[in-house]
Amino acid sequence: MSSLRELQAGFRAALLAGDERGVAPDVVDDGVNASARLAVYRHHVLTSLTAALEATFPVVCRLVDRRFFGWLADSYVRAHPPAGPCLFEYGADLPEFIAAFPACAPLPWLADVARLEWAMNVALHAPDAVPLEPEALRTLPPATLARLTLHLDPSVTLLASRWPVDAIWDANQAGVDPAPTVDLDAGGAWLEIRRRDGDVVRRALPRAVFAFRAALAEGRALEDAVEGALDADPAFDLAGEIRALLDERLLGC
Amino acid sequence: MHPAGCGIGLRAPHVAEVVATRPGIAWLEVHAENYMGGGLAVRSLERLCADYPLSVHGVGLSLGSAEGLDAAHLERLARLVERLQPALISEHLSWSVTGGTYLNHLLPLPYTEEALDVVCRNVTRAQERLGRRLLVENPSGYLRFRHSTIPEVEFLNALARHTGCGLLCDVNNVYVTCANLGGDAAAWLDALAPATVGELHLAGHAVNDADGRTILIDDHGSPVADAVWRLFEHALGRFGTTPTLIEWDTDVPQLAVLLAEAAKAGARLDEASDVVAA
Repeated sequence: MSSLRELQAGFRAALLAGDERGVAPDVVDDGVNASARLAVYRHHVLTSLTAALEATFPVVCRLVDRRFFGWLADSYVRAHPPAGPCLFEYGADLPEFIAAFPACAPLPWLADVARLEWAMNVALHAPDAVPLEPEALRTLPPATLARLTLHLDPSVTLLASRWPVDAIWDANQAGVDPAPTVDLDAGGAWLEIRRRDGDVVRRALPRAVFAFRAALAEGRALEDAVEGALDADPAFDLAGEIRALLDERLLGC
Repeated sequence: MHPAGCGIGLRAPHVAEVVATRPGIAWLEVHAENYMGGGLAVRSLERLCADYPLSVHGVGLSLGSAEGLDAAHLERLARLVERLQPALISEHLSWSVTGGTYLNHLLPLPYTEEALDVVCRNVTRAQERLGRRLLVENPSGYLRFRHSTIPEVEFLNALARHTGCGLLCDVNNVYVTCANLGGDAAAWLDALAPATVGELHLAGHAVNDADGRTILIDDHGSPVADAVWRLFEHALGRFGTTPTLIEWDTDVPQLAVLLAEAAKAGARLDEASDVVAA
């Protein structure tokens, strides 16, 4: 007989690793054997988590077809089971997992499509935040402003890809018929994904603006972020960009 | 507003329709974990709270975890409860977290003194943090542990006695568990301490095969079975009119189908209340 803690660890091994030695001896075997009984629980865990991933990554699923996605998700769930019960938070590591999954190697853009879908999921569910009022910046002396670290709204992701992931995503929506052809050599995408008035919105940013906002998102000080933006475009307009950030209610407190 | 009559479990495909049309539904129950983020989901629900009595049903607290409750998750639940002020809060007699991993299922406990201590400790901690009484639901069972020493219904009665929690009696789960593991479902209901029962659940189940034998799966994917309706009538005879909920989670049908199921339960609740009144 196991302690409850041992039994629960053994149950986990039976469900995720297929190792039933820690729990099967404790299961009553009357007519239906312990393996078949444990399989009922395993089936639910794997299929419900696969369904959660499919809901978060529908375009990835469509691109590889459901059977392949089921295998991919099953492998992912066993290697990276959830750390918490809010399933809208599950799947953050799936893009990296896809990038390293040998069977996905022929689709080198797939991981970035997954990153886009994850960014949309983050945007949908991010905590509500209070935007920064313009007055808060207006009163600061310029030297202080330069060293300031600004927080972006928690729903925002800045996503750069060498692939046209936005075009791939658009071409794989329901109702897009006939399916357009996406030119994979069309060049990369520099995208901002966020929630605005409850809706998830995506747009392509100019390179300098992307560099600036991505630096802020990484927690860099304003003067460092400006440097990166000027490298991308010497004509980068800092004052105009700060106004845009405030107008777009992109800065959080 | 306190739930009365038969409500429905509100699922994502129906939220927009319920917000837009405000159909006549006795009350709503939501899964707590679906409303712990920001954005439109929780704001839609806040608006519905003005028109419908609400129950918050947790599926992830893992009251049976030997390692204790996840403090961060309990905090999130407490914040949601403070925001929504639901009339009822419920969870399950099961576990889903071990070693910090969440297994997304209501997994079975051995019914031992050790497990009873663990669940009592966790329920007490949750009730203290929430400042509210929890209703704890009986799970559907697919296996029994050799070292269980306490009948399930006695385990639930003891839990209620030790912690002051109430019980959510899932009638379909009673039926499924007794069919899968042996036992008389009506006798199970008769043994449950009636004063502790604060809510009933109804749902459909699937009939599957395991190792060459029939096994019932509590998949919430079909109408309530005839035998479960009969058991529900037995439960009403035993517990009196009790807030009842229709749950449907897989192959979720049109809202109208769900409301028709709720009306069937509502008619039985009305009959039961007439019997009491007479």
